[in-house]
Amino acid sequence: MNEESSFPFMAFWAWLQALPLSEHIGFTWWFPFLESIHVLAIGLVVGSIFMVDLRLLGLAALRYPASRITRELIPWTWAAFIVAAITGFGLFATRATAYVENPAFQIKFLLLPLAAINMAVFQFRTIRAIVDWDTQPRTPIEAKVAGAMSLLLWMGVLLAGRWTGHLI
Amino acid sequence: MRDTVANALAESSLSEFAVYLLGNVPGLPPIAQTFHIAGICVVVGSIVLINLKFLGIAAPGQNLSEMIERLMPWMWWALLVNAVSGSLFVVARPIRYFYNPVFAYKFTFLVPAVILAFLVYRLSKRESAFWENSPSRRTTGRVIATVSLILWTGVILAGRWIAYSEYLWFYE
Repeated sequence: MNEESSFPFMAFWAWLQALPLSEHIGFTWWFPFLESIHVLAIGLVVGSIFMVDLRLLGLAALRYPASRITRELIPWTWAAFIVAAITGFGLFATRATAYVENPAFQIKFLLLPLAAINMAVFQFRTIRAIVDWDTQPRTPIEAKVAGAMSLLLWMGVLLAGRWTGHLI
Repeated sequence: MRDTVANALAESSLSEFAVYLLGNVPGLPPIAQTFHIAGICVVVGSIVLINLKFLGIAAPGQNLSEMIERLMPWMWWALLVNAVSGSLFVVARPIRYFYNPVFAYKFTFLVPAVILAFLVYRLSKRESAFWENSPSRRTTGRVIATVSLILWTGVILAGRWIAYSEYLWFYE
């Protein structure tokens, strides 16, 4: 552990990575195992989100109402997100003190809440007026912005997530 | 055969170029890997979703044949992106990949997975609603979808394990 570290809760991160389970993951085949499941889950999280984004941008699946594409895909996103979060936490726990100070990891966890806010704004605001354009191929600017922001933010999450492993 | 190809590739100027790019373009390795992962996301959003639709567990409000025609072109483009981004690493270090058993497993899963996807797409293109026209075709479709799901899962898991093959063969 770095004594000069200014990152908050360092004692907690140190405790977390010293747990027998964390050490077990870190020193055995559990790490690549969890990592491969993490990638599989990401495929479903981001794959389903991209499909919704492209519909919101008015670029794909135009014959279906936007609400149907959203309703049929978002449950898969959440289910896979839970798997990604659990496996991701397992990976994080192995070297928690290093990850919290890893710039790529920090950017990833800056982008993730932004993606969540973007999603929440769409779900709680933009969607109220969805009846006006639901079945139209052409989507309003608010929906296009939500789709474009989501695409960019999630590409950023993938990049920062992948970069994390190069800095550890 | 493998020795010849691996050595020829390793000594080629193409390999030298890939090594140069990976070592000198700032951030290229994670950027190329990110494109590779984004490609995986598109593969999951296309062929994996189609397979889940075949099995009746996803996208109840969408039409199977329409999904195949709409989503498969995305998959071919994604596979092209994955082939290019993946080749960059293989060409740079052919020996490392050619003699890695996990890399061989990945392609053992990938080749039949792509053939099955092509078959599903071709037949659907040739005859609209091909996979929905008779009960026996629906059953065949479900069998293909199950095999395809297993294969793609294997491709993605093995792909990540390439970097960890020592855990499987030299560990403990």
